[in-house]
Amino acid sequence: MYSISNQLIPDLILLALPFLILIVRLCSKRTTVMPWRIANLGLIATFVMLNMIPLTNSEGAFFLSNWRVDDFGVLMREVFVLSGILGLWLAKDYFDHGADGKPALMHITEFMATLIFATFGGFIVVSACDMLTLFLGLEMATIPMYALTAWNKRDQYGSEAATKYILMGSVATAFELFGFSYLYGFAGSIHFSQIASATSAGTSPLLWIALLFIFCGIGFKLTLFPFYTWAPDVYEGAPTPVTAVLSVTSKATAIAFLVVLLYGPLAPVQDKIVPLVALLACTTLFVGNLGALKQSRLRRFMAYSSIAQAGYIMIALLGPGYISKTAIVYYLFVYTVANYLAFFVFGVIGHYRPESFNSLRGLSKQNTLLAVALAAAMFSLAGIPPLAGFFGKFHLFFSGATAGHYMVVAFAVLNNVLALYYYLQVIKSAWADEPEGELSPIRMVKRQRFVVIALLAATILLGVLPFVSNNVFTGFTF
Amino acid sequence: METLLFNLIWLIPLLTVIVCIPVPKTNTKLLKGIHTFSGSLVLALVGYLTYFVYAQGSAAVHESAAPLLLRFFTDIPWLQAFNVHYIVGADGLNMFLLLLTAVIVWAGILVSYNIKGNQKVFFALIQMLATSVYGVFMSMDLVLFFVFYEMEALCMYLMIAGYGSGNKDYGGKKLTLTLAFGSSMILATLFGIYFEGGVNSWSIMELSKVTLPMEFQMWAFPLMFMGFAVSSSLFPFHFWSPDGHASAPTAVSMLAAGVMMKMGAYGCLRVAMFLMPEAAKIWLPYVVLLLIFNVVLGPFIALRHKDLKYITAYSSISHLGLIFLGLAALTPVGLRGASLQMISHGFLTGLFFATIGMIYERTHTRDITQMGGIMRKIPFLGVGFVIAGFAGLGLPGFSGFVAESNIFIGAFQQGDTITRIVTILAILSITTTAVYILQTANRMLHGNMPAKYESLTDGCFREKLVIVVLVACLLLIGVFPGWISDLLDQSIAPIFAKISQAAAPVVGG
Repeated sequence: MYSISNQLIPDLILLALPFLILIVRLCSKRTTVMPWRIANLGLIATFVMLNMIPLTNSEGAFFLSNWRVDDFGVLMREVFVLSGILGLWLAKDYFDHGADGKPALMHITEFMATLIFATFGGFIVVSACDMLTLFLGLEMATIPMYALTAWNKRDQYGSEAATKYILMGSVATAFELFGFSYLYGFAGSIHFSQIASATSAGTSPLLWIALLFIFCGIGFKLTLFPFYTWAPDVYEGAPTPVTAVLSVTSKATAIAFLVVLLYGPLAPVQDKIVPLVALLACTTLFVGNLGALKQSRLRRFMAYSSIAQAGYIMIALLGPGYISKTAIVYYLFVYTVANYLAFFVFGVIGHYRPESFNSLRGLSKQNTLLAVALAAAMFSLAGIPPLAGFFGKFHLFFSGATAGHYMVVAFAVLNNVLALYYYLQVIKSAWADEPEGELSPIRMVKRQRFVVIALLAATILLGVLPFVSNNVFTGFTF
Repeated sequence: METLLFNLIWLIPLLTVIVCIPVPKTNTKLLKGIHTFSGSLVLALVGYLTYFVYAQGSAAVHESAAPLLLRFFTDIPWLQAFNVHYIVGADGLNMFLLLLTAVIVWAGILVSYNIKGNQKVFFALIQMLATSVYGVFMSMDLVLFFVFYEMEALCMYLMIAGYGSGNKDYGGKKLTLTLAFGSSMILATLFGIYFEGGVNSWSIMELSKVTLPMEFQMWAFPLMFMGFAVSSSLFPFHFWSPDGHASAPTAVSMLAAGVMMKMGAYGCLRVAMFLMPEAAKIWLPYVVLLLIFNVVLGPFIALRHKDLKYITAYSSISHLGLIFLGLAALTPVGLRGASLQMISHGFLTGLFFATIGMIYERTHTRDITQMGGIMRKIPFLGVGFVIAGFAGLGLPGFSGFVAESNIFIGAFQQGDTITRIVTILAILSITTTAVYILQTANRMLHGNMPAKYESLTDGCFREKLVIVVLVACLLLIGVFPGWISDLLDQSIAPIFAKISQAAAPVVGG
């Protein structure tokens, strides 16, 4: 039914989708909802098609071996598409109505097209077989995000955030390209297989310089210490749905980039890179946790929380490839679900009140569903069982411990207590604090209610139900 | 059949939560009915299974569970990527702890009928907490155990922050974060145990068949033991307990002090000491020194407090210290005493917090200097409180006496001089316990009654039922300790065998 060459179908659908909706938008009336429907349909079709690709050990290589569809790639594509769908749904409310009755954002078709292009950037990263494609993917995932950050033209904070983002981002890109050029100088080729044979033949200072620059570049995109400082400002300035997409899609793209490099061309020297990865992981999660302790605005808080999460994900990179990849894919699923759940709750509240901790007060008395959903999202991000976040972190730590890095794992586990403190701060606002004065009413449209319930169920069940990890990951070998 | 019923113990509370989701939150009568029914059902179920275990005696235990004498053994692969299995089973010790939990959960549901706020969520959280505790006392796989063990942090914080009194956020956070600190120490060592054990299994039985490397045990045992001891409020990690209890609603205090604090002691015995007996022999004598605070100073601190919940919390700290004294004795009698004390203290502290909650509901204060003479108005509750106090100071006839005498005998059998000195101090500290119990009862229940308490009414049928059942449990263990200690001895035997077989440790090797 589904032959190997059809592994490209999801990629082709997703690539055609933005052009299609832009053309439909051009040819129809201003108030049309067709582009929105087509985009949803296309993304869901992509997701379904991805699920129909059997997970086998085979690698599909296409276009002169420059495009590869392997198990990790397929599962990462699912993460990207899932994040894209949820991002669109979250954004839809901002195009419909705002706090003052006026929509917060305009031009939904163009927004969707830009978002889908960013998603496709992730596809390119996980399919890359040479440095040029890899770079192309990373940029394709990043440049639309610059535009999305400044989507609300009337909002000066958004423009400021976008300026900051694009300036820092381009410097990081320059660093990365510089690293790539040294890597080319070292290996004499940009193709992964040739770089791999060069690294297994021996190392040279050129390789370490290249790696250092590449880590600087990717450290920016993954918000690793000490390149994370842009994140809180950009996350706070960007519109809420864009912040959600930033914290999931662009983080997933960056981590996929590292996985592709570390377990691909750099696999022979992976054990030598491990100390650097361990150092980056520990400092990042510690700094992220410390930064989140004293935040009072929700999006800024989520920025620091996502910095810390990036540190936790890095721990998986210490382990051998077959465990590390499953751990990262699984954690990204879990993280996507919990993060979007939090952002959906913030989005619902943000329509009626400012997005700060104080606005959450009295939520448990006003709307039980939202309060429970918020608590589940926060506990899942903090890694408390039986929620999915615990099992995700368990995967990550297991990967790190497999290679014997007990001390790193122990440090990360103890840091969880710090993380729990600030996630409890959010829950405290919603559950313990008494509201100041009369509470403005909160209404949810059908879509919001559906998404919140679905994500809540996923947060609770994703970890506990064994078939998720067994069926997906036992067939998922490398 | 019984195995299936056994697996239902932790499922019924969860199913109850799901059943209650469509019930509107304004229909509190129906909600209470469903939850009370579910609590009673689990109690009946656990009661039947305990009787079943008792009737079977030592015959026909499950063989693949060796060396433990487990019944109702179930082993289903769960997370195959890391060889995690769903393994549950129970021996006498587990069974009695489950029975204790069932009684306390049942009582906790009954005393929470008048809780303020969203009752639907509150009862759901109680049931989830119950699931967590049942799961801990059933699971024989370390990951499953940890999942259930850590789950309690989630429910505890929400219940204290949402439904507590006083400085509830502070108390709740202190409790949750301290417990999370303990669990993170446990999680860190669990990974070590799995990889150092080298049997690709998280099963307690499989891991107990290998001897973990000594260098690993030397750092892992204290980390894990203290991780568990945090939730049993062993000094220096006792500080969460008074503030946590003081701000928690009655049912949460009962569950926290009655059952959840036993999870730590149980974990020390079942996981830390059972899997790392060599290091246990080296480290436990030092634990005895920490106990001096718990056992000797705890009662003195209780003496100075005016708040009923603080008094009870410090009394719990001192009683839990005795459990550790029994464990540290490393003799069969001491271990039996420790297990008996876990069960006995669960009932008595449950009774303590239940009566305090009922009194607080009427007087709206927990300050004993504000009260006085209320015995005349609420004799039933007053007597319940006094009985709890007497059981706590180890009056013969109540369960406390049986447990404490076993602990003291067991600890004295240990030849170590320091252990003997601590034991003597512990026995002497019972006097202090008597002083604060009598002083509290005297100030609160006797003397001049402030006029505002004229209109107090004694407990209703529901409250009386809770008190009667808890007192009956205390008496039952106190008067007929034989049948319970026989089963406990059976289940302790393999643990003690493993400890006594442990090779003489090479220190500094």
